Amino acid sequence: MSEATAHHTDTPQRRRQINLPYVGLAPAWLLMIFALIIPILIIIAVSFAVRGAYGGFDWGFDLSGYRQILFNEGWTGEMEFTPQYLIIILRTILLATVTTVLCLILAVPVAYWIAGQPGHRKSVLVFLVTLPFWMSMILRVYAWMIILGKDGPLLRFFEFFGAPSGMTLMYNDGATLAAMVYTYIPLMVLPVFASIEKLDGTLIEAAHDLYGNRWTTLRRVILPLTAPGIASGVILVFVPAFGAVLEPTLMGGGKQMMMGSLIQLQFGGGRNWPFGAAIAMILMMFVMLVLIGLALRSARNEGES
Amino acid sequence: MTKFYAATAIALCFGSAVAAEGTLNLYVWSDSIAPELIEKFSNEYDVQVNVDGYSSNEDLLTKLQAGSSGYDIASPSQHFLRIMIDAGLLENFGANTLDAYANIQEKYRNQWWDETQEYSIPIAYGSAGFAVNTDEYTGPTDSLKYFFEPEGELAGRIAMLSYPDEVVGAAQLYLGVPFCSEDPAEMKRVLDLLMAQKESVAVYSSDNIEGRMGSGEVAAHFWWDGEVVRAAASGAPVEYAMTKEGLVGWIDSLVIPKGAQNRENAIRFIEFISTPENATIQMNHYAHSSPMNVIEAEKKYTVENAPGLYPTVPVVMSRTCSPKAQDLVTRVWTQLLQ
Repeated sequence: MSEATAHHTDTPQRRRQINLPYVGLAPAWLLMIFALIIPILIIIAVSFAVRGAYGGFDWGFDLSGYRQILFNEGWTGEMEFTPQYLIIILRTILLATVTTVLCLILAVPVAYWIAGQPGHRKSVLVFLVTLPFWMSMILRVYAWMIILGKDGPLLRFFEFFGAPSGMTLMYNDGATLAAMVYTYIPLMVLPVFASIEKLDGTLIEAAHDLYGNRWTTLRRVILPLTAPGIASGVILVFVPAFGAVLEPTLMGGGKQMMMGSLIQLQFGGGRNWPFGAAIAMILMMFVMLVLIGLALRSARNEGES
Repeated sequence: MTKFYAATAIALCFGSAVAAEGTLNLYVWSDSIAPELIEKFSNEYDVQVNVDGYSSNEDLLTKLQAGSSGYDIASPSQHFLRIMIDAGLLENFGANTLDAYANIQEKYRNQWWDETQEYSIPIAYGSAGFAVNTDEYTGPTDSLKYFFEPEGELAGRIAMLSYPDEVVGAAQLYLGVPFCSEDPAEMKRVLDLLMAQKESVAVYSSDNIEGRMGSGEVAAHFWWDGEVVRAAASGAPVEYAMTKEGLVGWIDSLVIPKGAQNRENAIRFIEFISTPENATIQMNHYAHSSPMNVIEAEKKYTVENAPGLYPTVPVVMSRTCSPKAQDLVTRVWTQLLQ
């Protein structure tokens, strides 16, 4: 192995001939093609395929997977507009958005505070933020079930201060949100922290010198300069939150479907793969729209400055 | 250096070839096979046994449909077994010529899901119904009415599985709607019943049922007979309801997926687990009834200590629904949780 490496470094000309930048990227390209592009093409193909009688699919062209998102046979046997899937899609968008906003509101002060700490403490704090990721996600959700559950510490605490017994904190939207925010907040803290750390303190001083109060300084100096970090945090949180299945099912009680569980249902119990693939495509296209929107925005901002 | 690599490569090929001959890959219901038997089989036949678990028939079907699963044995329930045979996903291993076949209790042989019994050997059967936490609920349990139209102690404190098939099946039993109904009007009644019940449902989930029930988080839970028996045996205050409308039945069978690499070992394992002695060990572990002839004296769960396994009400086996009927089930489920 070491012989081979030495051999290559000895002959720089040859390396230039085989155009290393492209050859060197080959593994990344292969990975992209096999792990990303081909699977997406398969999902696109399945979403237009003809459904099999008991799951699976036959090759063919059929738009019914997409039509089914809006129109279904009603209980009377007529084809009619059915908003049920739209409701599920909108609910998922809402949940992901609220999760992202809460993460942002909580993460910015935390990141700001960490960035202001002396060097060694800073690295310990960053390490602590990433610590939960060392554990399986399902364990973390179960931990929340213990915290919020019957006989859990939080309920005990409330009961001590006179909350009525029989009160429950589990199986509602609040419980879902708590677990969602907890799960995804490190993904917001880290990029925001990285951009705040790079912030030039003299600019804040300058803003104060020019009679900018704290709010103005935050709004016109700190936020614009940390926008790239905030944007990547928003993407990192929003995208996985959009496909979340575990938290709504375990914490929310699974009483209201999300897109993730809807797709799961179609590939499983529903045995309608093309429809499942069609919903997955809608989900992906929505995420792509959001990403393109953010990219355009940041490009425009860069153009202005 | 090169010599060393070559030698290693040859050794690896050789090694894996030998290992492949002595391998058996199981894909069965999670925690269903007695670990004791896996170890015994592994030692007796010098076979490396790998066990993966699933928690729904759909998981298994989807995996087999996706092709080359790499598994040698699976254990679908009867209605999925039928689909798998029809879809050509299973090996015909001449099950009816095995010793295992001779040990199947008469009434479980050659059923509609495998009439000639060439594709499968049954391993366990049981039912799905509701269980109550006797600390939290002291009322009657002899009708599905208490579960589908809960009042008093049960209102707001019941939990459903998140599998549409089981939930809809029980609702059909209660309403007297036939399984796999293709009549939208009948299925609308099922939806209406479940919608009305939803007000009282705390959670739809098939995970962590034991924790939720044992802790009294909910007072009643849709569940399987054997799981209730196991929880009760470990001291949880739970009881399986014998509902006069009946119980939803299932029977799981061992099958060999098409193209299995270790077919011989798979057959060997099926023979092994079907002897009266091993079937008894298996039943004592799984806590579901055995369709095999077992050693009565060694049975851990009897009518006295596990009445849930010996139903006194009719048990109706779930059927293989047509795509049209299945779509209605999915529609009920989607509208319920929309």
